[in-house]
Amino acid sequence: MLEKARVSFFLASRSITRGNKGITIFTVFVLTLIFIQLVLFSSMLAGVTLKFNELMVNFQTGNVVVEPKEEERYIEGASALQKKIESLPQVVGTSARLKTTGNFRYKEKEIGATIYGIDPADETFVTGLEDAIISGEFLSRPDKGEIILGREVSGGFGALMESKSLEGVEVGDTVELTIGGVTREFKVKGIYSTRFFMADASAYLTIADLEEMLGIEGRDFAQEIAIKTVDGTPEYDTRTALLSLGIGENIRTWHEFAGILRLIESTLGLVRNIMNAIGLLIAFVIIFVVIYVNIVNKKRQIGVQKAIGIEQNVIIVSFVLQAMLYAGAGVIFGYTFMRFGLVPYTVSHPVEVPLGSMSLRLDNAEALNRAVLLFLSSVVGSVIPAYKLAQKDLLDLIWGK
Amino acid sequence: MEKIRKHTEDAVKSMDEIRKQTENTVKSMDIIRKSIDDTITDTIIECIDITRTFKMGEVEVRALRSVNVRIRRGEFIAIMGPSGSGKTTLLNQLGLLDTPNSGKVIIDGSDTSRLSDSEKGKFRLHNLGYVFQDYALLPELNAMENVYISLMMQGKSKTECESAAAEILAAVGLGDRLQQLPSKMSGGQQQRVSIARALAHSPEVLFADEPCANLDSETSKEVLDLFEKFNQEKGQTIVMVTHEEWHAEYADRVIRLKDGIVQE
Ligand SMILES: Nc1ncnc2c1ncn2[C@@H]1O[C@H](COP(=O)(O)OP(=O)(O)O)[C@@H](O)[C@H]1O
Ligand SMILES: [Mg+2]
Repeated sequence: MLEKARVSFFLASRSITRGNKGITIFTVFVLTLIFIQLVLFSSMLAGVTLKFNELMVNFQTGNVVVEPKEEERYIEGASALQKKIESLPQVVGTSARLKTTGNFRYKEKEIGATIYGIDPADETFVTGLEDAIISGEFLSRPDKGEIILGREVSGGFGALMESKSLEGVEVGDTVELTIGGVTREFKVKGIYSTRFFMADASAYLTIADLEEMLGIEGRDFAQEIAIKTVDGTPEYDTRTALLSLGIGENIRTWHEFAGILRLIESTLGLVRNIMNAIGLLIAFVIIFVVIYVNIVNKKRQIGVQKAIGIEQNVIIVSFVLQAMLYAGAGVIFGYTFMRFGLVPYTVSHPVEVPLGSMSLRLDNAEALNRAVLLFLSSVVGSVIPAYKLAQKDLLDLIWGK
Repeated sequence: MEKIRKHTEDAVKSMDEIRKQTENTVKSMDIIRKSIDDTITDTIIECIDITRTFKMGEVEVRALRSVNVRIRRGEFIAIMGPSGSGKTTLLNQLGLLDTPNSGKVIIDGSDTSRLSDSEKGKFRLHNLGYVFQDYALLPELNAMENVYISLMMQGKSKTECESAAAEILAAVGLGDRLQQLPSKMSGGQQQRVSIARALAHSPEVLFADEPCANLDSETSKEVLDLFEKFNQEKGQTIVMVTHEEWHAEYADRVIRLKDGIVQE
């Protein structure tokens, strides 16, 4: 068995080293491209997902969110709870928020948006909202009657859904906000953009202003407390620590808010799988054609090999090994290109997409999976023509029939 | 009573004689059988009533018609005949490269008609060697590799392969071209590599189909001298197809074919 494998390997290696260099280079090149294509989409998807998650954590949820108990509208004694949570060593900051929906009016335009009431100082410890201001300024604690708008609300600044915005509100303008029948005017203090569509379709005012509009002044209510932890703390551990503090409120990690992202991810995942299937089919066809052409040119040689007693299986395996070596080289070149070329390049020169600047992320397990698939298709793509020819009568092969 | 006893004694005596004679006959029959056995074992290839017909669409070409051939160990045989007379076809039957429509090929006492394709392959690998008209070397292997590929297939180690190949290539006069690729060699050199390949595993029989057809007469002579050397020094059995009378002079015996029939 091993002896036969040795002969196959010998024939394959001689065929590669002494055979047609052009065919070898072409085949390896094409397989390299196919491997890159197979991992590229996954890498893009992983990059996008990572970006989404980052935005989610950085601009909306923090790492963990505490919500009201079942069947209650508010968290009561929010500031005391905040203090308690902030006593945990892994907690960097907390932000207690009121959250509701409201309607904006500006000139003729009227749109709905999510409205947050925040303590501006607390918020900066949890999210990067302050740094996301692209015009004007961030809120400060004593502000009254001032508001900051996401660019999807204000319009302009490259908003993705301009027609669903107030179309051109600028800093200093006054907008009308109606919440539960109460209408008040606010001066726009700043406009922010996280490039994260969902986060940019909101508006922030001070918690005192929102309490007033909701009629709950000074009650120390909150609808969510977003918690930011030290980088690298597992969300699960944070939740356990919170539970051990005796917190009876609902505790959710940011993952649980990423439902829509999951949906997008699995949709893109489907697209990715289809593209992979097509890529593999192309790989299969190319390997089939290359090996077939290669073999047809070697009909006579195969006949002679059979005549002098080289076993049919040994001949077939020698072609399969050759295809596997091509595939292996393609995988190595493709992986090297991605890992040490394209991925680092997009990290240092991120690609600007509507979502923000995005870089590729190459997952080794995925790359391995694609490598295995490419290998399998090269095996199948070479076994078929090799078997078909090696099985022929040896005199027919020698006489080129 | 006495008469009866005497008769009995006589009868016993003559019975003894008969027994003795029978024993003698059995003995001499043993001797005959032995000599028959000897002739049989001395026969390396025998083909009995071989018929080979090719179908070309509607037309049937009867390349061999009831051919009987017997070749003894150590013989140098030339197969001759006009073009299309079935020489190659006969050689392919004897060399197990093809299967006859009917008849048997018996090599070294074993009936090969019952072997499967892969068993035939094994048999060729271990017992037979071939030299083709156009050398049929594997272009991606150098001289040495071409020679030892079948040894490798037999499971010999790399060092065994290399030393055997070097030895036989030296014997055919190519000791200084072990690493050369076929494309870098002349026709005569390539044919000598192919002879070395055919002989590397010490086959029972060497088959050669017009080995000199592509060579000039001087190179042909070198190749035929090589055949003669291996035939005489090593007792190598050789079956060679040729159409040149002077090639046939190297042979111990000539089998002449015409229209697929052996001419007596
Ligand atoms: N594979 C084949 N298919 C059809 N006809 C064949 C085949 N091989 C040989 N023949 C025919 O059989 C006859 C004998 O051929 P061959 O043995 O090659 O003759 P030779 O070697 O004496 O020139 C020829 O008529 C040839 O055309
Ligand atoms: Mg012929």
